[in-house]
Amino acid sequence: MASKAIFSTLRRSLTKPNRAVSRRHHLSTSSAATASEPYAGDEHAIVMKGVRISGRPLYLDMQSTTPLDPRVFDAMNASSIYDYGNPHSRTHLYGWEAENAVEVARIQVAKLIGASPKEIVFLSGATEANNTVVKGVMHFYKDKKRHVITTQTEHKCVLDSCRHLQQEGFEVTYLPVRTDGLVDLEMLREAIRPDTGLVSVMAVNNEIGVVQPMEEIGRICKEHKVPFHTDAAQAIGKIPVDVEKWNVSFMSMSGHKIYGPKGIGAMYVRRRPRVRLEPLMNGGGQERGLRSGTLATQQVVGFGVACELAMKEMEYDEKWIKRLQERLLNGVREKLDGVVVNGSLESRYAGNLNLSFAYVEGESLLMGLKEVAVSSGSACTSASLEPSYVLRALGVDEDMAHTSIRFGIGRFTTEEEIDKAVELTVKQVEKLREMSPLYEMVKEGIDIKNIQWSQH
Amino acid sequence: MVAKCQVISLCRSLLRAGCKYPDYNIREYTKRRTLDGFRMNKNLTDPSKVNDAYAEGKEQLEVVERVLKVYLAYPPKTKNIMELKV
Repeated sequence: MASKAIFSTLRRSLTKPNRAVSRRHHLSTSSAATASEPYAGDEHAIVMKGVRISGRPLYLDMQSTTPLDPRVFDAMNASSIYDYGNPHSRTHLYGWEAENAVEVARIQVAKLIGASPKEIVFLSGATEANNTVVKGVMHFYKDKKRHVITTQTEHKCVLDSCRHLQQEGFEVTYLPVRTDGLVDLEMLREAIRPDTGLVSVMAVNNEIGVVQPMEEIGRICKEHKVPFHTDAAQAIGKIPVDVEKWNVSFMSMSGHKIYGPKGIGAMYVRRRPRVRLEPLMNGGGQERGLRSGTLATQQVVGFGVACELAMKEMEYDEKWIKRLQERLLNGVREKLDGVVVNGSLESRYAGNLNLSFAYVEGESLLMGLKEVAVSSGSACTSASLEPSYVLRALGVDEDMAHTSIRFGIGRFTTEEEIDKAVELTVKQVEKLREMSPLYEMVKEGIDIKNIQWSQH
Repeated sequence: MVAKCQVISLCRSLLRAGCKYPDYNIREYTKRRTLDGFRMNKNLTDPSKVNDAYAEGKEQLEVVERVLKVYLAYPPKTKNIMELKV
């Protein structure tokens, strides 16, 4: 018995792997990218999903969501405690107070976009608003109007709603975009038919950040008397939005993209000239019958305050974000070559910078950038392995589309964070390029596209 | 009309409250926004406008201090990368 124990311990100690052996040359690119972090043994290190990072990463993903502004948080707190009544109860003080709070928020949202408060409908987010408009308008006019026009770079919820309509028998035209991401106005004009029921073009793209020529599209739609819907979730509070100048009939807005709470959004539905819509949520007829259900008063109040703040701070934020964007782009371009900006640089919202790095593998780049919270492709499509459909619609090559990174700059980003992001990105890209045989060939002057790859 | 020392004391209180935030981004934003806000209104001469700006500043100070109490009540468990290696 004792000898058995002795021998088993002896065996265990002899076969224990020797920690001192360096295994770096056996690792694949992606693991090599992450294996360089020194095991400092500091107590602040976070280990999650098999990755070890020394602290909370710096947040540069403002297009997927934004942190809550403290002033919005303050207003929401007060409202959660006191405005707990149902805003649709007409009989007692609690209902009246809650209704007042909702009406104040409605006025704040309406002022941001230049609409009347009676035209705003609150719902659970821009996805619900997009679904309601696309399906609701076409279902209402299904006898006369069977055609929908949209673009290839729309948000997934609009494209999915259009696919649902196609299955029901409607026809959908997906307009292609130019290489700079903007819609071709001549193609739009040609695509409009007498039975077109809706044109849907998003104002600011969430992946590449280009701003579409909304006034011209609005003018074309007005000429042909077609309702114009725009998904302005990324646009409100960031670029000046005016429903009269743009001539939109429907607009979707989201709370959590403008430093407000998640789970709330709004829909603008024009009253003059009146456009009709079939509701998605049936019930007690709240919100003009377009969206039944009790409103979450504190979310609505938070959204209203976020819109008011966005209106006041728009100019200040724009100057700051433009400055940071130039710093980021110049910082990266100084030290690296082969950096491509996806989408037009002129007609763009400054806070969204989508860069592609040539001769670098995308997954490894992202895995190595664990100290910066960025995204590649939108949050909706990052689960699949395909490159983003938006970049494909722009005509970007597969390999460049895989290495695209979207830097989102916002109100709370600081200059030091941008400098650190530049430093980390440059270091990672240089490390990956050093290991890349393709980059060596390019440096020697060989043109990669003309190589005849032989089969082994 | 509000006196110069009151304006300076308001600015100092806002900066001091802003420095106490545990969250790196909110802290930096409060400091930058306060300084820029006071700089933008530096050349106001109309007494009513100066009083309005001062009242707005005082309101913001109340908001900052209230929210600070909640942020301090839930301290973060991990440090931000920007605070680790300087």
